[in-house]
Amino acid sequence: MTESAIDMRPTMIGAPVQRKEDPRLLTGHGQYTADVQLPRMAHVAFVRSDRAHARILEIDTTEAKALRGVHGIYGAEDIASLVRPLCASSRTEGYHATLIPPLADSKVRYVGEPVVAVVATDRYVAEDARDMIHVDYEDLPVLTDPAAALVETDTLIHDEAGTNLIVERGFGRGDTDEAFHTAAHVVAGRYRMGRHAPMALETRACVGHWEHGKQSLTMWSATQAPGILRDALAELMDLPGKRIRCIAPDVGGGFGAKVSIYQEELAVAALARITGRPVKWVSDRLEDLTTTSQSFDDIVDLEMAIDADGVILGLRAQVLGDVGAYSIYPWTASLEPVQVISFMPGPYKVAAYRGRAQAVATNKPPMGPYRGVGRPVSTFAMERLIDKAAVAAGLTPEGIRRRNMVRPDEFPYKTPVGIQWDRAGFIECLDSVVEAVDPDSFRHQQVEARAEGRYLGLGFASYSELTGLGSRIAAAPGMPINTGTETARLRIDSTGAVVAAMAFANHGQGLETSMAQVIADELGVAMEAVMIDSGDSDPLAHTTGTYASRSAVLAGGAATLAARGLREKILKVAAELMEASPTDLEIFDSTVRLVGTDKQLTFREIAHAFYTQMGRLHPKQRAAMDLEETRMFDPVFGTASCATHAALVEVDPATGMVEVKRYWVAEDCGRLINPMIVDGQVHGGVIQGIGVALHEELIYDEDGQNLTASLADYLVPSAAEAPDVDVTHIETQLPDNLTGFRGMGEGGTIGAPGAIANAVADALRPFGADVNTLPITPQRIHDLVQAGSAQTLRPGRNNSSDDTTS
Amino acid sequence: MTGTASGKVVVSMTVNGDRVEELVEPRWLLADFLRENLGLTGTHVGCEHGVCGACTILMNGNSVRACLTFAVQAQGADIETVESLGTVNDLDDLQESFRKHHALQCGFCTPGMLMTAIDALRKRPLATDQEIRDALSGNICRCTGYQNIVKAVRTMVQKRDGDD
Amino acid sequence: MPGHKPWLPALATDDKSSRLYMKPPAFGYEAPTSIEQATALLSMHDGDARIIAGGQSLVPMLNFRLLVPSVLVDINRIAGLDEIRDDGKGGLTIGALVRHFQLEASELVAARFPILTEAVRHIAHLAIRNRGTIGGSLSHADPAAELPMMVQLLNGALTIAGPDGTRTVAARDFFDGALTTVLDDAEIVTEIALPALPAGAGWGFKEVARRAGDFAMAAAAVTLTQKDTLIEEARVAVMGVHDQAIRVPGAEAMLQGAVADNGTITAAIAAVREAVDPDDDLHATAEFRRHLIGVLVGRAIHDAWHRAAVAHT
Repeated sequence: MTESAIDMRPTMIGAPVQRKEDPRLLTGHGQYTADVQLPRMAHVAFVRSDRAHARILEIDTTEAKALRGVHGIYGAEDIASLVRPLCASSRTEGYHATLIPPLADSKVRYVGEPVVAVVATDRYVAEDARDMIHVDYEDLPVLTDPAAALVETDTLIHDEAGTNLIVERGFGRGDTDEAFHTAAHVVAGRYRMGRHAPMALETRACVGHWEHGKQSLTMWSATQAPGILRDALAELMDLPGKRIRCIAPDVGGGFGAKVSIYQEELAVAALARITGRPVKWVSDRLEDLTTTSQSFDDIVDLEMAIDADGVILGLRAQVLGDVGAYSIYPWTASLEPVQVISFMPGPYKVAAYRGRAQAVATNKPPMGPYRGVGRPVSTFAMERLIDKAAVAAGLTPEGIRRRNMVRPDEFPYKTPVGIQWDRAGFIECLDSVVEAVDPDSFRHQQVEARAEGRYLGLGFASYSELTGLGSRIAAAPGMPINTGTETARLRIDSTGAVVAAMAFANHGQGLETSMAQVIADELGVAMEAVMIDSGDSDPLAHTTGTYASRSAVLAGGAATLAARGLREKILKVAAELMEASPTDLEIFDSTVRLVGTDKQLTFREIAHAFYTQMGRLHPKQRAAMDLEETRMFDPVFGTASCATHAALVEVDPATGMVEVKRYWVAEDCGRLINPMIVDGQVHGGVIQGIGVALHEELIYDEDGQNLTASLADYLVPSAAEAPDVDVTHIETQLPDNLTGFRGMGEGGTIGAPGAIANAVADALRPFGADVNTLPITPQRIHDLVQAGSAQTLRPGRNNSSDDTTS
Repeated sequence: MTGTASGKVVVSMTVNGDRVEELVEPRWLLADFLRENLGLTGTHVGCEHGVCGACTILMNGNSVRACLTFAVQAQGADIETVESLGTVNDLDDLQESFRKHHALQCGFCTPGMLMTAIDALRKRPLATDQEIRDALSGNICRCTGYQNIVKAVRTMVQKRDGDD
Repeated sequence: MPGHKPWLPALATDDKSSRLYMKPPAFGYEAPTSIEQATALLSMHDGDARIIAGGQSLVPMLNFRLLVPSVLVDINRIAGLDEIRDDGKGGLTIGALVRHFQLEASELVAARFPILTEAVRHIAHLAIRNRGTIGGSLSHADPAAELPMMVQLLNGALTIAGPDGTRTVAARDFFDGALTTVLDDAEIVTEIALPALPAGAGWGFKEVARRAGDFAMAAAAVTLTQKDTLIEEARVAVMGVHDQAIRVPGAEAMLQGAVADNGTITAAIAAVREAVDPDDDLHATAEFRRHLIGVLVGRAIHDAWHRAAVAHT
């Protein structure tokens, strides 16, 4: 092989490589948690609260215990000595932590909360037994409206907090009063995003296996964060981490819902220990829609001051978030509403900003992370208001965005809340989408269509997000875990195989593939040669998992550093064996070559020489070398990713039906590792965002009952409702960045709700309709069209004016 | 079928070409029977009320929901699950098309999606992308946004119709 | 699967436990091979038995334990109920075990009742249509299901077998409110006769559902024939807007003998909105549903008129 041939070797990073995960998943040989089968395994079903707020008086399990096939029935007191309640602590001012018990003890706080666990031979029998268990409750007043819960003092979800307002934060920069005083126009609106279920297709599930001999626990869980689970269980069960192993095998989607620690995981861990059997709990869909962490449910009051040219002078945001019954572990209840105010200014220059967020506990399941966290809501509100500002200033939607966005020469830009945007293609993404859409010719079509009684609308949404957060930017200040670092360990084993222990927990992102691409390029091996262990708390000292658009950045960074380190070590050993200088050596296809000669050693030969062939190396030399590299990566801050979305819709005002006819995304996530995977993430994220915008809503009645607990009532988009998404990538380079990768898994869902809302509003402009509530369902469209005016909020809420004033 | 004192009955059927005979309670769903009795965990359970399509299998050549069929109803039937298709080292054309077009992410919906696609390719012209989307609309995928699944099936339509 | 309330009832119940079930209760199972055996089994269990045909509505209700039958009588092994036959008079006779997919794919159905082919395309999804049966759908009598509306529109007649023999009931007399029919506990629908449509009849079918294959928020089906510039015979049926699918004689009266102009259509729409009694539910208020069914009826009349015009010339 000549040097020029080496230069022609394929680069894996940037190539649309087919996924390593696919063959097993396509043939039914993936192994999801529900697929784990162990000898003597028993199945768990939970008796769950059928009321939203009540004191538990008495539990009668006599009849159920006698049922054939029942191994045991356990309540809170039976497992209390084995596992303590969770607590998501935080140093943030104005925060009240809540204790999350493994099983409800003194009272229940939402419908579906686990109260009693039945362990039986199979799920059928477990459900039979559940029928025979009688729980007596004393009902307490139910709080389902956060505005009411906020001022309520007699009824508290958590007595020890002394209030239902469990988080209150505010921040900002600049003189907003002055901005609003001098404004040429002020626009305002109240925006409401409904309650939402992340709805991964695989329901939550876990299997606990206590090995008496080793006094150790193995937990398989459908989780995004086996490392967080391991650390939490170790603390709550008073065991050293080494005696708890948490495995996230193949996981059927997460979208944020599987990155928190759940009551059932704690209970199953205890049940495995107490019953001495492997125990499996697989949530059914009703349980999943009733108990898995939910998202959004924010009410945003937003007002914006602009000058006569449409330049934003000031912005004020007030957010009320319904965070449900518990402050979720480890993210805390501040996660969603505080993120809404943190990212409200978006990719725009906002000189003066004040944001205030309140998180109110109610008798609903806990609020947790969902794809985009807060930013789908902030983008919806901000982008709706920007469109109103455009009307006030006489600008086009694309014109007002371009006028206010941070320009290429203004990076790094510090937002009013202190977030720093690194160089990212804000304007480039906008321009790219505008070119693809051609809004001017659309507006002609729109006029022609209206003449035929057809209502077309075009909507834009631009956003920027922080991804790949480092140790200086916590998801929630003072939370009990570190999410800012990640470790990778690479080694050449005694057979010459390249083995990577990594901390990510794949649940659809194709990280086994993209991380193998990174390692292959850095190390000089074929992708197929890279074997990755992941989704397992055991191989590394500290892991968390995959969430918050972090793995490409953090795992990619750790893999890059570890591969570079291992490469040096391989070269050092090879140089010794080949009696050459490491600088004269090249690695290609798992083989080290002495440049300019035909001397070469394969990894296998090097491994044999190093590990097994005694005498090939001098003991002193051997002692000074190894073929293993562990590196931690900390991006310190985060990387900015951004996009502009555009949606073209047709609305039938008579039926309220919306058809998404075209959809465009131009996004910048920096250097692409695998464009095929990135496109897939954008497609999926956008369709979830369309679900948020048009279809999906959890509806609770005043008793705290979930009226949408089946997939026939909670409506996620099917193939028939999904448009094709036209994706363009802008790959802005960062000069001082290890890999150039930025996170992007959440972006699709951040942009789509705002783009769809703007498009529907544009279509319904002849009716004077505003779109300020999502999802914008046929009923809400009907109401808007009938009213011929703006507001669709529920009666009883104080709607703020959406009029523009000058 | 013969009953037993425990209420279980003997059921026999052909699953992926193998004849099987098992004792089951009449209430056992075919999905649980395949997964628990036979260890064929490729058939996934996503909702157990017939909406998500993850458990779709072929019964006598027709796609059906294994969560809306009792194992006893499959007495004498010919059942095909995802495990009857290609293998890890030798994917069949449909599986290859899914891989090539990145038509799966987490993989949980994939077995049901494949079995539905097989039935749709046999029964429907699938002349347009919208027809493909309609044919797949009983199978929820939460990851891909469906675009690449449509592409993968489109490729198979072209292969079927001899115009690729 | 009720169409008016959440598909799944709220968890709080009057009985002792929450309704978080997803595995069926224990039951016995019988698979008779004749109608006589089946009706005998039903008689023997005296109301505690349930017939299972396709099971696509029944099994979810069992999984949720909304039903707790002592025995399931599986009628799938009864021969001769799975055929679509020409009645020799321009109509069709459809066996109760004919699957929705058979209706969808049948050339006979497409030739004789293209509106039925169109309606079946709105029933759920392929895998459900492969299993679901016409007899099962009619017996289940969901107010938001297509076939109960279609058999009424098409003047169908149902043959019902019971322990004491068979009887025939007109489709319009078969339904008795949500999820309720005139069937006795031991009776089984065995066959549905659909008489020929009048020569030259045009048709229109319009449905709005939140997503493809979902239960309809509302749907309308219309057939009409033309005589010169006038509407001669008109049929109007609606679903999803009443406690059962219904024909709307008031609207039919507005159409018959009238000129097919905007005034006539407006009058027919008003008659439909007057006749229906929708409920509020998660997806639509009664007011919206009443509005919607008028829109759909108007559009269906429009389509039917244009198709009839084609047939006439």
